[in-house]
Amino acid sequence: MGGLGRVGTIIGYEWRRALAKKKILALIILAIAFQTLIMVAFSRLVGTMFLTNEAGSFMWISGVLEAGLFVQLIAIIVGGGSMSEEYEHGTADILLSKPITRVEYMSGKFLGGFSLLAMVEALITFVGVALSLGFFGAQSGLQFAPIMFLAIVYSSLIFFCLSFMFSEVFRGTTLAILLTFATLIASSVISPILTFLYGISARAIPTWAATNFPSLVMSELITAPSVLPAGDPEALAQASLIIAVYAIVFTLIAGYRLLKSDVTKKTA
Amino acid sequence: MASHSVLNVSNLTKYYGHFKALDAVSFSVDKGCVYGYLGPNGAGKTTTIRIMLGLLKPNQGEVQIAAANPSRDPVHALQSVGYASELPTLQTFFTAEQLLDFMGRMFGLPMQTRREKSRQLLDLVGLKEWGKKKIGKYSKGMVQRLSLALALINDPMVLIMDEPTIGMDPEGTSHFRSLFTNLSKEGKTIFISSHLLDEVQRICTHVGMINKGKIVFTGPIEQMLEAFTQQWVVEAELEKVTETVVSGLRALEFVNEVKVDGNKLMIELKEKKDVRGEISSEIFKQEGVLLSLNLRKVTLEDAYLQALKGGQ
Repeated sequence: MGGLGRVGTIIGYEWRRALAKKKILALIILAIAFQTLIMVAFSRLVGTMFLTNEAGSFMWISGVLEAGLFVQLIAIIVGGGSMSEEYEHGTADILLSKPITRVEYMSGKFLGGFSLLAMVEALITFVGVALSLGFFGAQSGLQFAPIMFLAIVYSSLIFFCLSFMFSEVFRGTTLAILLTFATLIASSVISPILTFLYGISARAIPTWAATNFPSLVMSELITAPSVLPAGDPEALAQASLIIAVYAIVFTLIAGYRLLKSDVTKKTA
Repeated sequence: MASHSVLNVSNLTKYYGHFKALDAVSFSVDKGCVYGYLGPNGAGKTTTIRIMLGLLKPNQGEVQIAAANPSRDPVHALQSVGYASELPTLQTFFTAEQLLDFMGRMFGLPMQTRREKSRQLLDLVGLKEWGKKKIGKYSKGMVQRLSLALALINDPMVLIMDEPTIGMDPEGTSHFRSLFTNLSKEGKTIFISSHLLDEVQRICTHVGMINKGKIVFTGPIEQMLEAFTQQWVVEAELEKVTETVVSGLRALEFVNEVKVDGNKLMIELKEKKDVRGEISSEIFKQEGVLLSLNLRKVTLEDAYLQALKGGQ
């Protein structure tokens, strides 16, 4: 079996491992429940001053975007346990004493976690579109739904990679998840403060790109003033670059830690 | 037994911070050997094994398994290695069949082989009825049995076991012991780290002993027994121990000391030589009535304790 085969085996393993965790399933259910709730609430407002008929025909975007928060949470939980749980349970020994390189192992773990996240997002996108069709009738711009899906998946890379990095660096799941949540919350708080107090555009702070990238993409594709702001190609390019840079840096740090250090024995 | 070694450990040195866990550890294990790796807690046994598996990086020295270094080239070095860890923790979300299948995949085995091997191995370790149950429901002993099955999924050339029978019931221990003997007969090289000296003495052909990170002895088990046993003792049971018998025995040139314990005599010899004939003649000459006479066999435990004291 070649390196790709071994990576594929670890991807399959990572899927089973992540899906065995009840908290991930609970978050998926919560995300869908949340989407449904939003759609029910908005469906009462169509045709009123709060929600124009034009906006009603773009409700699928709202349905998908609003659940994006849950995608970030799932990204943090999947990434945060990916490496560290193996150390905590002592199963890293079993996996890494097999004929597999550490690079293949980490690649499998990363791709397994991230592809699972993409599948969750695909489900959320599908449910969002289906609910909007059910509650609001025919929708506009649905041909962009796959791009919207890809944009949300791409935007989730920052916090997935950050959580993945903490997971490998500290080798503790709770710590990794807490630190990533703390970063998410802190950067959400700091960003508007910086903008308000000092007029500094805090775009380099992780939250800005992670939360704005999908809507920036859709603004480029769809002109719907009642739903989306006008397109801003410069901001879109910045956001896309920032996500890539953060993702690469965080992943490289995790890889360096794995390659250069010993495999720790069972810690939990 | 072929003379070429399949496992070479040379000059391994490992530090944990400032603590030197291994100090220039070297030994080699020939093909088909059952090698017992002995040492007290904290001596460096598990550290050696973890370096052998590429889990730890040594500060100095290297390991070669089948001519490949597991740290640099785990794909080749570990392809023909099976490993069962001390008190294993397995992935509880799998059933035994699923985990065996997954491990088989890691070794690149085709699906048909994986299925057949899984069935055979579950039968071999006595878990046939449990193959479809989640591992989370297994007892400790069952996890250990499964761990051995996992170590054998790739039909390994080298089997590395860290305390394989620790915490296991006597029946399980006996089962494992006969399993190791059979595997050894199949020509597999087995490396066992264990505290159970009796077990090691029964199944191992060679031993290595480590203390405070340094190798104290490595070689055939008989050689260790010879090297670390200072004197032989003959135990004699008499109907009645008299002063004349004791002084007669003390006068013999090959006797070092005679200790009396009720109607038993412990006769310590100056040389490692079976002199039971001469001793019984002397007792008879001194009109003693001999009930039994045994040359106390030297156990690995005796040699081990002697080796720990540091003297040959």
